[in-house]
Amino acid sequence: MRTISLKVNGIVKEVAVEDNELLLNVLREKLGVTSVKAACWRGECGLCTVLLDGIPVKSCMTLAVEADGKEVITAEGLYSDERAKKLMESFVKHGAMQCGFCTPAFVVTSHYVLSKNPDIDGEELKKELNGVICRCGTYYQIYEAVKDAEKYYKKEKV
Amino acid sequence: MSFTTPYFTLPKFVYFKPKNIEEALGMLKQHKGRAKVMAGGIMLVNLMKERQIFPEYVIDLKNIDELKKINVTENGIEIGSMVTAIELQNSKLIKEKCPALAKAASFMGDRTLQHTVTIGGNISVGMPSTDGLPALMSMDSVLEVRSSEGKRFLPSSELVLGIGRTSLKEDEIITKIIVPNDEKVMGTYLKFINASEVAIATVAVTVHHEKKKLALSVGAIAPRPYYFDNSSLQWNWEGSVAENIKRASDVVYKAVQPMSDAVASAEYRKEMSKILTARALKEVFGGA
Repeated sequence: MRTISLKVNGIVKEVAVEDNELLLNVLREKLGVTSVKAACWRGECGLCTVLLDGIPVKSCMTLAVEADGKEVITAEGLYSDERAKKLMESFVKHGAMQCGFCTPAFVVTSHYVLSKNPDIDGEELKKELNGVICRCGTYYQIYEAVKDAEKYYKKEKV
Repeated sequence: MSFTTPYFTLPKFVYFKPKNIEEALGMLKQHKGRAKVMAGGIMLVNLMKERQIFPEYVIDLKNIDELKKINVTENGIEIGSMVTAIELQNSKLIKEKCPALAKAASFMGDRTLQHTVTIGGNISVGMPSTDGLPALMSMDSVLEVRSSEGKRFLPSSELVLGIGRTSLKEDEIITKIIVPNDEKVMGTYLKFINASEVAIATVAVTVHHEKKKLALSVGAIAPRPYYFDNSSLQWNWEGSVAENIKRASDVVYKAVQPMSDAVASAEYRKEMSKILTARALKEVFGGA
């Protein structure tokens, strides 16, 4: 057991973890951040994607101790960001979900992509989002929703 | 769902995060045989989840900044082993001087994982499906390998011995990849995958037009990538490109002895290495 400090969605938290614990388990079980979904457990589906110091990582492939002293942002934390809020509304507007299980991961990933490059072209955007799998197959709606939300990220930049 | 069953959990180990190479090498020497080095960690975590390896110590290299640099020196282009796949794709220098590697990096896992995957980790696992190794072999690169005793230089073609087996000793770490710094380099990397995104065959080509030098590597079809150069491909710089490509792909077809597994049969892999070779050469030499 060792104590690590994580800044989860803006709040610094001290949590006791084992060396062999996954960040995913710590977030879900110990910190109650349940927008991070556990699905494939082997880094293939991307539903456990979080932003670790601003970079998207799959938390089922990350040790909790690796994240010591770092900032974790999940879909919950993005709600305070005006642009991300509009992005989430765009997901609703376009019906970019069926069961909704993958939505937090898509929101986190597309927020990262758009804040890095709001002028991204369509094919490039599809490639950027290929780390997350939607089992219902609502990819087209997700693509439309993210494309539609581009404008909010552009405004911020000017 | 229970999180205590294997596959959701990892076996017990002690985690270290050294701040510099010397510290990491010291730890490796101290725990020789019982420690595993963690680069990006994707493969390591997966193998531990599947209970295929049980290291007592895990030594994470993510805090070592000197392994994350790309430098140009008199030896050539030195790529740190902890440079990520995203950095390789975004680096202007790599795109210009090591086009095959930049393209191979775009195939290393999906886009999210590419932020984590490192070139050193990708090649040192020793999996046949590695994207980095064929690209590095086509560029005739040399690996700088360090242990607490000193360093040695290993040609990238001599790294992998078999599936999951490399010529790295238990206390050694790949620190740098050294690529010759040449002008007017062209190259590409092609990967043929099935629906499960497991490589059936990959081909990396690097051409130095000034030096009249061509190197080609075929990966994923056998435990070790195959290497071909000007002479083994019977490349004639004066002859027509179309004829050369036909001859070269026939040479590849005759030379390779692929493996059969759940992904593809040996015959299929043999055929695909010929087709990919022709496609890659066409892409580099244009049309034909």
